[in-house]
This record gives sequence, C-alpha cells and structure tokens, in this order.
Amino acid sequence: MSDTRYLFKRGKTWWVKISVPPSLRPALGYDLRRSLRTQDLETARQARSQVVAEFRERIARARRELDGPTDPKPVQADGYQITAREDFSDVTYLLELSHPMLAEAAQPGQFVLVISHEHGERIPLTIADFDREAGTITLVVQAVGKTTREMQQRCVAGSTLHSVVGPMGIPSQLENAGKTVFVGGGLGVASIYPQVRAAQEAGAYVIGVVGFRNRELIFWEDKFNRYCDQLIICTDDGSAGIHGLVTKGIEAAIEEHEDIAELVAIGPPIMMRACAEATRPHGIKTTVSLNPIMVDGTGMCGGCRVIVGGEMKFACVDGPEFDGHQVDFDHLMGRLRRFIEQEKQALETWAEGLTGAAAP
Amino acid sequence: MGGGFDGRGRALIGAGKLATETKKTIRTIPQERTPIPEQPASDRIGNFDEVALGYRPEDALREAERCLLCKEAACVPACPVAIDIPGFIERISEQDYRGAYDILTDANLLPAICGRVCPQEDQCELVCPVGDVLEPVAIGRLERWIGDMGLEEGWHNVPHIEPVPYRIGVVGSGPAGIACAADLAKAGCEVTIFEALHAPGGVLRYGIPEFRLPNEVIDAEMENLTRLGVEIQCNTVVGRMFTIKQLRTEMGYDAVFIGTGAGTPRFMGIPGEALHGVLSANELLTRCNLMGALQFPKYDTPITIGSHVAVIGSGNTAMDAMRVSLRAGAEKVYCVYRRTRQESPAREEEITHAEEEGVEFHWLTAPVELLDDGEGAVRAMRCIRMELGEPDDSGRRRPVPIPGSEYEFEADTVVYAIGTTANKVIGQTSELELDERGYIATDDDLSTSMAGVYAGGDIVTGAATVILAMGAGRTAAGAIKDYLKIRDTEVVYQPDGAKEGPFGFDPRERNHVRLRLPPDHTVPEPALSGSGSQEG
Repeated sequence: MSDTRYLFKRGKTWWVKISVPPSLRPALGYDLRRSLRTQDLETARQARSQVVAEFRERIARARRELDGPTDPKPVQADGYQITAREDFSDVTYLLELSHPMLAEAAQPGQFVLVISHEHGERIPLTIADFDREAGTITLVVQAVGKTTREMQQRCVAGSTLHSVVGPMGIPSQLENAGKTVFVGGGLGVASIYPQVRAAQEAGAYVIGVVGFRNRELIFWEDKFNRYCDQLIICTDDGSAGIHGLVTKGIEAAIEEHEDIAELVAIGPPIMMRACAEATRPHGIKTTVSLNPIMVDGTGMCGGCRVIVGGEMKFACVDGPEFDGHQVDFDHLMGRLRRFIEQEKQALETWAEGLTGAAAP
Repeated sequence: MGGGFDGRGRALIGAGKLATETKKTIRTIPQERTPIPEQPASDRIGNFDEVALGYRPEDALREAERCLLCKEAACVPACPVAIDIPGFIERISEQDYRGAYDILTDANLLPAICGRVCPQEDQCELVCPVGDVLEPVAIGRLERWIGDMGLEEGWHNVPHIEPVPYRIGVVGSGPAGIACAADLAKAGCEVTIFEALHAPGGVLRYGIPEFRLPNEVIDAEMENLTRLGVEIQCNTVVGRMFTIKQLRTEMGYDAVFIGTGAGTPRFMGIPGEALHGVLSANELLTRCNLMGALQFPKYDTPITIGSHVAVIGSGNTAMDAMRVSLRAGAEKVYCVYRRTRQESPAREEEITHAEEEGVEFHWLTAPVELLDDGEGAVRAMRCIRMELGEPDDSGRRRPVPIPGSEYEFEADTVVYAIGTTANKVIGQTSELELDERGYIATDDDLSTSMAGVYAGGDIVTGAATVILAMGAGRTAAGAIKDYLKIRDTEVVYQPDGAKEGPFGFDPRERNHVRLRLPPDHTVPEPALSGSGSQEG
C-alpha cells in the first residue's frame, strides 16, 4: 500500500503538509508543512499523526480566534482568579483577587458576594482592601462554617472562585468629621481598614481601636499604624495592648479625647452592640456594619431584613451601615441563627466526605 | 400565482392551494379544544419534572385545524409582542414546522418559554373569535409545541444582520432585557447585557420553578440570544460596578435599556415576622430554583420548609411557592388570601394545578400576628376572617375584617407572596427620575429622564407578566432605533402611491428585500432565462 496521506517528498526527504481552510489563510498561510527528516516512508508514516494533530490544533485555534466574537460565548467565564493568599492564623486568611473593574469601583464600607464553586452558596464578604492600580481586591475570611472552611482548603494563589459580584451596598458616608474612632473586632479589623485609610486621606483625626484574642492573632498592625493618628490594640488575654475587649479601648479613647465626633464599628453583632452602648451615654454618633444572612444581595430575597429604628430595612441595599443606636441587635442575632442546624449538618457531611476521601 | 414573496421576504407557498379548499367555518373545525397531556397530580408532587407534557404531533395538527385564519386577526394586536399568530398556525397545518418557527421567532425569541408562562387566556386567546362559540384556539400550547421542536431540532432563526456602529447596554437579563437585546442585535447593534446574578434569565431563572419552566429550556433559548451576537455579562451589578451615566459616557454605549424588574419583596409589618420559618416567596424560590437548596447538602445553600406551610397571597408567585413546598415534602400546604378565588390574581390554570396537587385554600383570611414556639421559630398564625365590602381602586371588592373572628392557624413555615416593589439599586445610584412609588418614570416610548436611556418591564410598571415585560423590551428597542436613526428592519419601505409604476413594473422590486434564510442555506444559482434544457 502506498499510504501517503498528508505526506510529500522534497528531494529525498518526507514532509507533512496539511492545507489551510481559505478563511484562515491570511493568518496561517496556504498550508502548514514540516520536514519529518527521514527518507524512509515507514518512519514518516509513523511520525505523521503527531504532526498532523499539532497542525489541526493550530488551525482550530486560529479559527477560534477568528470566530471568537460571533461564537456563542460561555455565560460564565473561567472564574475569578485568586492572586495571593496570606494566613493570619489557623482560622483567618486573606485572599487577594484580580478584578480590575471591581477594584476601580470599590468604596470603603462595601462588600462582595462570593460563590466558591458551582454548587456553592452566595456569601457576603466585606472588601478589606482594594488597589485600583494593581486591579485587585482583598478579602479576609474566617473559617467558621462549611463554605469558609472549604475555601480555606481550596483557595490558593492561582485558583479561581466561581463567582464574585460587587461592590454591593451603600458606601460609607465619610465626611471629614473631625475626630473619628474606628473599631474593628476579630475579622472586623480587616473590614474597617478601608474606612480608616479613607478617613485619614480625607483629613480626619483617626483613632483606631482593634481587638484580638491574643498577641499571635494580631494582623495589619503596620497598615493601621500608617493611617491612624492613634492606634489602640486590645487583647482578650492582655498579651498585647490593653487587657480586655474593644469597649475598654473605646472608653480610653473617649476619656482622652473629649471631642470625638463619630465612631464606626465592625465586628460580631455582640461587639457592635457593646460599642453602641459605650457611646450612647456620650451621645457620639455610632455607625455599625451589619452582616445578616443574604442570598442574592441585590434586595430581592428579604433574607437580610433588619430592624433599624423600628423600621424594616434590607442590609444589602439599604445598608450595610446603619445607626448603631437604632439597630435591633436581638433581632439580628436571632436571625443569624436561622440555619444553625443546616450549617452543622453541612459541616458534618463535608467533614465526613473529607475523612472518607482520605481513607484508602 | 401560487407562490411569491410577501412583504417580509417569506415565500408564500401554497397560497393558491388554500383557495381551492373549502373555507373553514366554526362548524367545520374540531369543536373541542385539544387537551394537553399532564403528569398525574399524585406523581408530580414527588418530582420536579414538568407538569404539562406538551402536545404530540397529532394534537398540534388537530388544534391548528381549529384556527379560522382570520384575515384581520384580533389575536395579533392582543399579543404584547405582536406574533403573526394565524401565520404560524397556518404553517403548522401545512406541516411546515420550520416556517412556523421562523414566524414565531421573528417576533419572539423565546417561544418555548412564552408558550409555557404567558397568560394567553387574557391576551390572544381572550379575543379569539372561536372562543365566542367554543373554547378558543390553544395558541399558547401550539407556540410551546413549535418552540420545543425548535430546541429539539436545533433550529435557529438568525437573520442576515447588517452591522451598524452602535453599542447598546442592557441592564438585566430578564424577559424585558432579552426582548430588547434581541431586537437591537437583529438591527445590527453590538449589544451587551449586564446581569447581577451569576446566571442569566432574571425571574425566569430565580423565580419560575423547574416544573413550570425547566432550566434547560431557559439555557437553550438564552443561547439563541448569544447566537444573534449578544454578549451576556453575569456578576455585574450596574449602578454599583459602574453607573448608568458611566455607561452612556466614558464606556461609550450609545443607548441603554434598563429592565431590572421589581423584585423587592413586601412584608406585612405584623408582629412575629422576625421568627425563623418566616420568609418571602422570592427567598424560597431563589434558594430552590437558582441555588439548588432542595439538593442540600450536595448544594451548599440551605432551606427550611416545614411540614405545615402557609403561603400568604394568591398570585402566580404564591402558587409557585406552594407547589415547590409540596415537592420539598411539606405535609400540608395552605393558601391564605384575604379576598376570594374570583379576585385572585393567579392564572386559573395555576390555581387548578395547585388544587389538584392538594393545596388547601383559605379564602377571606388574613394573618394579624405570627406566634413564637418559644425557641424563636414560628408555631402558628393568628388569623382574622374577612368579608368583601365596596370595590376599591383596583375595581375588586375590598376585604374588610370581621371583628372578633380571630383564630389560631397552625403553621411552621409562613411564606409571604403579597407582591413586590421596584429594585432599588438603579434608583439609588442614578439621577433618573422616579415616580412616587420608586419605579422609573418614562414617556410613552419608554424614554427616561436621561437622553438615550430607556426603561421597561416591571421596573416601570410594577410587577406584571413575562410577556408584558417582553413587549416593553420590544417597544423600547423600537424607540432606541428611532433615537439612533437606525432603519427599522421590521418595516418594508413602500413609496406612496407606488402600487404600480410605469410599464407595469412594481417599483418595490428595486428595493432590497431581506431574505430570512437559515445560515447554512446556500442561495441557488439563478437559472439562465431561456435555457433550452427543458424544451430539448
């Protein structure tokens, strides 16, 4: 048999040649050809298929490039790239995402909704930092439930998140209010940072009060030092700064400065309530950022309804920031326990799956 | 002449043939409306498969025979998107199904969806003259049948598109946005749809459940949109990511259409709404339809649907919420409505389906308080009985509470389906003029207070139907074409008084008439006139 498909002879050497469809000739030329560097037909036949496959791939690629815009595009792009990760402790981690449009639009006080994978849930996360030049946003996550623990395992630099949408919520109203206290507790330390920076840049006198469980868990001290005129660190065990909760730090600040115009607090609801109670006797305007359970985050489910001043508000579109003296914290904390059973079940199922997979 | 082309470039096959047949009359057509096969109620509450199974070919042909093919068809203007209804039904009778599909999709890109969810009984089927004597032609079922066939056969109706140098931004990928995007893409514009959620379709996706509108039907019909060259950008909240003004200025969009809908759920403001187990129908449906909560824990999103579910309200959304609850395993599902069945805004078909599936209807009943079980969850409602009084603004008789008629109504899940209001984000982030209720204020041509920005659908009218939103999308597309001075391709240019020109020539023959041919169709070589081969 003289099977010489795709083969031709130049001098004594066998070559492979595959013609290019007319539409692609401006890009690739009339045909694709390559020497197989052999004079033996049998050897050439064996080497042929690999070269042909490679050429076919080149043609297919060129076609994709050419047809690109008219082809039905996949609705979901490949996801949102994680560019960096940093671990602050065994439960708290930082993710930096590449999303130039989001970085351009983000304002202090706003959040994003993240779906980590195709079967994932939509979880709200406060934007902890954004860099418009680098086109990145930073999220700080605490591994508490199934989703955040799974993310702790899966999300490394180079991996992707299924969906990231934002910036959601009304940005913080940062007028240059004079002396402003910014309080962050636990994860809230990361969430409050963009406001600290913005306030300082707007010319306010910035007092930072940040609370951690102990010295090992402290993060971003340098970042806060750069933008705070005064930084008060509180630790539960007294291993650094003031021994006690952030409210002790607030009291210290109020004692030292008589002219505090405003206080902004982000953290667990119980901490925010304590902050609001600490400022109430002094009549200091207090803003808190609420974190109820959400689904869509665009105002359509009502899952995030909160009571502020006796009125129902949706945290996703009316907030997330509200007057701390008006918020019904009992209502908020009650509603946060809505899915406690399911959360436990999800975590158990997931943990079982992990141990199951680990077993041989 | 038996053949030729009509004004829209479609071949008029068989126009002569019909004349020879006896004309159909109300007496000669099949008298009974052809029923649509359905899953039995007892089976379907155990699954999420479609309830109405769709016509078989013989059903469709029989039903198509019932259309009298009126010349001045009343059904066409009654359709919000003005489908040539007799035209497509005639094609079905001729068994030219592809032709029927092309006629349908000229006006409506989503026949498989609209055939399922349109309230035809209030639109085309309401004015069908057959309905004066018998039951009207089942236009919706025929539309669905052709739409499904199109999906199955992989048909696409992509006309020749002449590009024009305009970029259009469409906000929201729901029915209004889809319809507007399709028309503008056909007119040659470069269209981008921005969707806030992670999947396109808007209310079709998050609202309407699988057993009424399967997700794969949405996917397939959305794909037809991308085939027209429309780009869909999910995960993009317009207003927050960039504003309408930015779209019109620095981002270089020549016109913008806003179809963000009315999705903000209402609550009643009665005591106990904070309790666990109290949620909006939107939340229940979004968790189940969009997020896959019924497959928890395979999907991460949880939902709690108890054993006794009370849904407040009696619209289509309420029916959907009740029927999802049944399928999620609720023992008892109640519909609690302060008026009666006559005033209920749901489609009759939906109420019937819900009834068949075992929903218990409690008319003239309204909750006044939700009661705590002691652990923060709802245990029961305190309800009051109502009676109908004088008609209110909507023309329906106003429900009036009967004093002293309060009683306890046991329910461990309470779902609010009492209506929605405008989505807020665009209103918060643009300077567009809103009306007093928060909807976007527009002129009759759907132009807003900002030049080049149009709005339509629920964000203008308040909650309505899929097809009305699609109609608004098409109206706005027409207005945008006017605004950008794009020739309206739907209208064939006909000079005045030019029925016949000199020497008996029709001057229209000189105009370019767009031929709508499938993309893979090659135009046959014109036969040389006077070719002798036939004679020889």
